[in-house]
Amino acid sequence: MAKKDIKKALKDFWYGKPHSAEEGGRRLGDLHEEKTHLYKHREWRGVKDTMYYFYMIWLYNYIFMVKDVMVMGGLVNFAKGVWRYRWVGQTYLPVLHWFDRGLEGMRGPALAGSAWHYRAMVSTTIRQFQRMFAADTRLHGGKQNDLYKHTIAHNETVWGGVFYPWDGEITNVPLEMIPYFVTCHVNSHTVLNYIDAVQSIGLPGDPCPMCQAESGIFVLDDVPDYAKAVVTCNEACDASVSTSTLQDWFFDKPLFSLPMPMLVEDQYGIPFSWEKLVKKLELQNQLQRFEWEKWEVAGKSDYYPINGVAQALYRIYQTQYGDWEIWHVTDKKVRKILEKCVSKKINTFPQTRHRVIAWSCAPLYYSNWCTWAYNCWGLNVIINMDSLMFDMEIRTDSYEHTLEDMAQYHMWAPMRRMAVGGMKHMFELWEYMERFNCDMVAMYDQLQCKGVQGLHGLFEDEFRNRNVKAFWIPHALPDSRTVSRAEIRRLINDYMTTVMHEEPLDPSLLDFDDSMTW
Amino acid sequence: MKDLKHLIFFENLLQEANNDLVKQAKAEGKRAVGYTCYFMPEVLLDLPGCFSVRLRAPRCTSPDIATYYMSARVCHYARSLLERALEGGFNFLDAQMATETCTATCRFQEHLQQKHLDSVQDMRIIDNDDFFCEFSDVPFKNNQIAYEHFTDQLRAHVLQPLHDHFGIDISDDAIRAAVEQQNEVSRLINEIGEYRKLDNPTITGYEFHVIQLVSLACPKYLILPYLRETAEEMKTRKPDRKKDFRCKVVLAGSENDDPDFTKLVESCGARVVCDRYCYGAVESRQIIDLPEGVDPLFAIAKHYLTTSNCPRFMPQDEMRARKKRLAELVKEYKADGIIIASNKFCEYWSYERVIDTVIMNRDFGIPVCSIEKEYINTASGQLRTRFQAFVESVEIKQIQEGK
Amino acid sequence: MCKFGKFLLKLLGVALVLNVGLFLVFFFDLDGKLLFNVVEPFLKNHYDNMERKDTLKAPYDIDKFPKYDYNS
Repeated sequence: MAKKDIKKALKDFWYGKPHSAEEGGRRLGDLHEEKTHLYKHREWRGVKDTMYYFYMIWLYNYIFMVKDVMVMGGLVNFAKGVWRYRWVGQTYLPVLHWFDRGLEGMRGPALAGSAWHYRAMVSTTIRQFQRMFAADTRLHGGKQNDLYKHTIAHNETVWGGVFYPWDGEITNVPLEMIPYFVTCHVNSHTVLNYIDAVQSIGLPGDPCPMCQAESGIFVLDDVPDYAKAVVTCNEACDASVSTSTLQDWFFDKPLFSLPMPMLVEDQYGIPFSWEKLVKKLELQNQLQRFEWEKWEVAGKSDYYPINGVAQALYRIYQTQYGDWEIWHVTDKKVRKILEKCVSKKINTFPQTRHRVIAWSCAPLYYSNWCTWAYNCWGLNVIINMDSLMFDMEIRTDSYEHTLEDMAQYHMWAPMRRMAVGGMKHMFELWEYMERFNCDMVAMYDQLQCKGVQGLHGLFEDEFRNRNVKAFWIPHALPDSRTVSRAEIRRLINDYMTTVMHEEPLDPSLLDFDDSMTW
Repeated sequence: MKDLKHLIFFENLLQEANNDLVKQAKAEGKRAVGYTCYFMPEVLLDLPGCFSVRLRAPRCTSPDIATYYMSARVCHYARSLLERALEGGFNFLDAQMATETCTATCRFQEHLQQKHLDSVQDMRIIDNDDFFCEFSDVPFKNNQIAYEHFTDQLRAHVLQPLHDHFGIDISDDAIRAAVEQQNEVSRLINEIGEYRKLDNPTITGYEFHVIQLVSLACPKYLILPYLRETAEEMKTRKPDRKKDFRCKVVLAGSENDDPDFTKLVESCGARVVCDRYCYGAVESRQIIDLPEGVDPLFAIAKHYLTTSNCPRFMPQDEMRARKKRLAELVKEYKADGIIIASNKFCEYWSYERVIDTVIMNRDFGIPVCSIEKEYINTASGQLRTRFQAFVESVEIKQIQEGK
Repeated sequence: MCKFGKFLLKLLGVALVLNVGLFLVFFFDLDGKLLFNVVEPFLKNHYDNMERKDTLKAPYDIDKFPKYDYNS
């Protein structure tokens, strides 16, 4: 072996291989097996980052997952839940491979910052399903235990903050967030059972597939019976409203569409507490203020250490669920990383060719497309629509202001503000493009979202009139069968070669078969 | 049966939105106000000086430009309306009173609206300098707070704009006059519709559908004389000696302004005796009651929220009561079964249909034919087979029950 | 070498073996391979064959729930 080669091998060992093909790059595509997309071996990211990944991400998360399960409800409840419910057993065991997909190719602060976001989501997910199992009458011989009597179920588009006034006394657990929404990101196989189930009872295939899946869980009798009552709402869309009608039938419990506080008092016998509400809102405002700081860095510099998928998922999870301790713990850790990046001027995504804003609703089964897009093409997704929806603090200086802002916040729920919202909000795209200094748009094309489909042509017109570089990503939210991941990649590849005339950074990622992957 | 005197005239009125009576009213200086959804109280658009037109896009089979703007994956009805608008078919409209009720029609109406935003260019779809489009928010519940909210919405987004733009009289007296006119239309339609309850009805579902549609698509004051005459004619109309149908059905479901669809059902042997769908008479032709001492606008808001059976209503008791009301209609109209039809891409009715299909049969013992249809039903062969099979199954059931 | 020293060495040895072992599992994605090829098919088979209630037979009692107004 020539001296030069040895030197390069040592350098690659120590620092990890460089990103681009021109520099003798890392060829991430070669790491995977065909179809299953399992690793032949995980990526060597250099000594420091590989050890960080091994100890602080892989091992740390496995250990803390076990710890979380034990502390939040216990191993017995967990085992019973895994045995009873498909969505937990089939989905959540390969959770570290969800990390792998989202964090592939990341280095240094970008790896660490993004991973902490994932960690928070995992912890919150465990907390919620463990609460479901601990309170579930099906896992406890039909008995309604004390936890059951102090848990309230709600549609995942009902903002968790609605329940702040009963903090510590009633625990709110969204009905679909864990059995459906998060599963699609972690293991896209599970949800297909639910979509097929609801279509098997006569629902056509064209309503929003997210709502189909949310109904299908009930059709397959795969929802824990963990709460006395259910709160639903008219968000986000027609199908979401209609999903409540099927849930009403199959759950057969008192169901309320976004009611007054009197409902919770009435059903649970626990009074509304203004003090608790204010305290929790202040805490939530802290989270929002830090998010704005993050956005400031993301918009005005190259030092932002969160990748596109971590940014999107963490933000939507955190804002929709509402205040919780783990978000503060995570933000504290991320702040340190962020401050370090800014003070040392660390370019966290050094191969960025285009700063991308992702608009409309993302494909849940391929939320990590942006990690691929950065690795393959240098497309760095800086921000996305879902992150921007709850762009507000909630005033706590008076009862009226608080209610007014809470209502506004709720109206800006996922999809409500921008997917089925008015044109003012849908076309805030340009404003945010400027704010985040983006030069390209990744336009999600959720094929079954009537709200966005209804504006398809106007977006085309505007892209053309404004000479905005934009590519479309067609998809059917959770259903990976409608538009495959490979098809999404092919469309982006085509755009980058035929319109942008660019060469890939990592050609091994251009075309590969991951048809069976989680 | 002997042909109804005005049936051909009525059919011609339905060939396009800007029909002869609309033209006449416009020539008389009246303002044409369009709407799509039952939740927009037509009575408020029929105030003296203006008239309501419930929008339709008859014979629109290929909405190409609308498909560019709205894609091929939204309701054909909404796309057809946009296509017709883009073709200039709605240029006679002076205003569009929109509701944010179902997403697809909402988007259609947003396309009509001049939004004056820097972020998106307005299309001048309605070529009429006076035209404006205003949205009202419709509650998902029917309780006191909802009535009050809806009243405020109607005042701010219907009455006031009509007054400001066209000087329409929006006083209580004017509202009462419009209600009186609408109630007369409703009484006549109901009177005509009552004949569908006879053992051997003296009116077909198709004829009734046409009559109901002209009452929605034409200026009330101009269509009224024809309705009066038709009601009078019905009093002496004799049924065919031999029944020309094999069973009677309630037609329920989503948007349906296509009388040919009703004709298709009837050609398969099922007489449509009740129309519980958007554009049907079950809801829209109920008498509006204006109690003394109550703000008439409030009474109207309440009327529309309490009479609607739309599946977008969310209170739990309401979700379930809808099924019971449907079963009651079957009884009231002496029907043998229900055809539940949802338009392709209509999310509300796709779900409602699933529940109705199971519950109406299982819990109420009513045979159900559950179908998905297009706005314009060119695929009639397939539907015909479904309806024929359904009629046969109803007949077999009747034989088994010894009827 | 004192007993404590030996114990410490042993402990270090065990820790080293454990670390190397875990690292090999990590690096060669043995966790993923196990989950994909063994655990998921096993669980999937279990869920596919589970007896589930026919939800279409679930009751639909029209009058079961009152009108919740909370207007006052």
